[in-house]
Amino acid sequence: MTLRPGSLTFLIIAIAAFGTPGLAHAQAGPKRVTVYIDSVMAADTNEGTDPRLAPMGKKLQGLFGFSTYSLIGHNEGQTDCGKMIAFTLPGGKILHVQPRAIDGDMIAMEIVLFDGTRPMMTTDLKLKNNGTLIVGGPRYEQGMMIISIGASTGGSHPMRAQVGAPAQANTR
Amino acid sequence: MAECGEIGMMLGAFEDSELEPNEMQEVAFHLARCESCTGILADYSTLGRDLRSITAEPSLAGFSSAVIARVDRLPQPVLTRIARYLRRQADSVGSGFAWGGAAAAIAVLTIILMTPYAEQFANRGPHSTTSIAGHEAATAVNQVAEATASEPTMADNDSHADISRLESENHSVAVWSEPRRDTTVIWLPDQP
Ligand SMILES: [Zn+2]
Repeated sequence: MTLRPGSLTFLIIAIAAFGTPGLAHAQAGPKRVTVYIDSVMAADTNEGTDPRLAPMGKKLQGLFGFSTYSLIGHNEGQTDCGKMIAFTLPGGKILHVQPRAIDGDMIAMEIVLFDGTRPMMTTDLKLKNNGTLIVGGPRYEQGMMIISIGASTGGSHPMRAQVGAPAQANTR
Repeated sequence: MAECGEIGMMLGAFEDSELEPNEMQEVAFHLARCESCTGILADYSTLGRDLRSITAEPSLAGFSSAVIARVDRLPQPVLTRIARYLRRQADSVGSGFAWGGAAAAIAVLTIILMTPYAEQFANRGPHSTTSIAGHEAATAVNQVAEATASEPTMADNDSHADISRLESENHSVAVWSEPRRDTTVIWLPDQP
């Protein structure tokens, strides 16, 4: 048997090697993504961690060294791949999240953070399903703002803040 | 809170993304609350930008394709050639077909030969519980025009985010990953 390019054997190998994972991707399930946004004010005012932040509070304590973490806003919304969802956050910030594709366990998305109408940051990333991206730094009141962005192809997120009815989001 | 003197010595390296992840975090954390050090960093950024603007960068147009073309011409072991041929075929075959498990064993072998697939498998392994490795954090101290990075990813695949592009007008953006906490952090300190 010779393995000449273009031979039938080659074609079979190629399809067996790449067709199967390709099909698995094609059947990768829901294209709907739930986006969770928790806006947190972090400061050094020794007021402890807002109980509504559990379990994210522990994570924040481990990541940063502030003595106060207070939940100042929670938003969540569902959108489809290719469709941008906009969130109005405290402090005049606006967050646009556009899931692009679901690739295995990763969700590809574009995130744009605005301060009013001025874009502060634009990023393209793949976030692990149920993973968290934290965008922090802008000053907020006596501390600074930390925005936790979670995305999930399921209906819940392990790091979601424990709140009642979340603020609305606008899909476009 | 770390002392300004201590942080001041790390600012140049912070600006150049040369610190270890824990140091990046420490500096970013300090900068968020210290206007004096933020001001010094802004001066470093301005100086760095001005210096970069007066040096002529050599054109890299066609560089990567020239390298790949030369690599292609090197004598290769037969398995590597098969893998490369299959990779090209796969691009044109499309992803919708599956011909059962007729050549499953060969497929597995091919997957292992293929770096991206092999990496995916490697990355499914347990995350390290030791402190974050140096390459898992990077800083983009950039203007909008130069911050676009399409090829390299800033966070390692071990982390929960794989950042392919990051643009910000902010001159001191810090990015680091905390695989143990399934989290990637983008830090945008307020400009003074
Ligand atoms: Zn300082």
